[in-house]
Amino acid sequence: MRLDFVKIFIDSTTQIFGEVVGPRADVNSIAMKANPVAGREVMTIIGLAGEAQGRVIFDMSQDTAVQLAGCMLGDRSPGMTPLVRSSVAELASMAIGRAISAVNDRGTKLRMSPPTVITGANLDSFDQCFETLVAPINTAYGEVRMNITIQDLE
Amino acid sequence: METTVKRGSPADAALTCLIVDDSAFARLHLRRIMDSFDGVKASEASNGNEALSEYNRLKPTIVLMDIVMPGLEGIETVRRICESDPAARIIMISSVSYGDKIQEAMEAGARRFIPKPVTPEALKEAIEAVMTT
Repeated sequence: MRLDFVKIFIDSTTQIFGEVVGPRADVNSIAMKANPVAGREVMTIIGLAGEAQGRVIFDMSQDTAVQLAGCMLGDRSPGMTPLVRSSVAELASMAIGRAISAVNDRGTKLRMSPPTVITGANLDSFDQCFETLVAPINTAYGEVRMNITIQDLE
Repeated sequence: METTVKRGSPADAALTCLIVDDSAFARLHLRRIMDSFDGVKASEASNGNEALSEYNRLKPTIVLMDIVMPGLEGIETVRRICESDPAARIIMISSVSYGDKIQEAMEAGARRFIPKPVTPEALKEAIEAVMTT
């Protein structure tokens, strides 16, 4: 695990969350897990590739997703609409985009995939085990859990 | 001649804009900002290929272009637009904003680069800059 990169990812994410859906966005505790901890109703996945590889998964309740999107859109949606999905995807994309920009400016070439949003119940069935750093981000609209896996190419 | 983009009451569309982003939220956000400027008419494309055809059809005054998109990504789209129209005024707007990527976008033909999240002030400044150079 590239813990130096993980710090950049968490810092960039709390910055973007503070700017876009702030003012409050902080991380209380960080834990290393054997697998991603992402079983909530709305999950956003961004792949990382280049001189390092990995992925970032954000998961949150549907109510948190709707409220975050409402803050971004200036108008609360009635439920998990396509625009709500797009809003939470864009929030994740801005956070990870800023992080990989910082990583690239430090000399490691890293690129990101467009975000994929998955919604529904029982989303925590990952078929692969991979060491993951889990950082719960507290926002005014509920907790967004950030799962980060990033390592050098072998 | 200096061009000023004002915010406020609507006016005749003197400036046309093509917003290119795969994110519906990002397109809506940019459209709302553009709609707040006087004399701007905005249209949208959700990927690089659609942007190429819309650019050829509309010949917009300016283009707001994302980088990370599925399929034909933003910088290659800029390169293709500028090959056919070297006078194209393209502003890159992306969350991916490291030095080499900005340089790559500029070498492809973009004239300005705005990191996300975009503010009305940053967009207004960039539009005024590309309209006067």
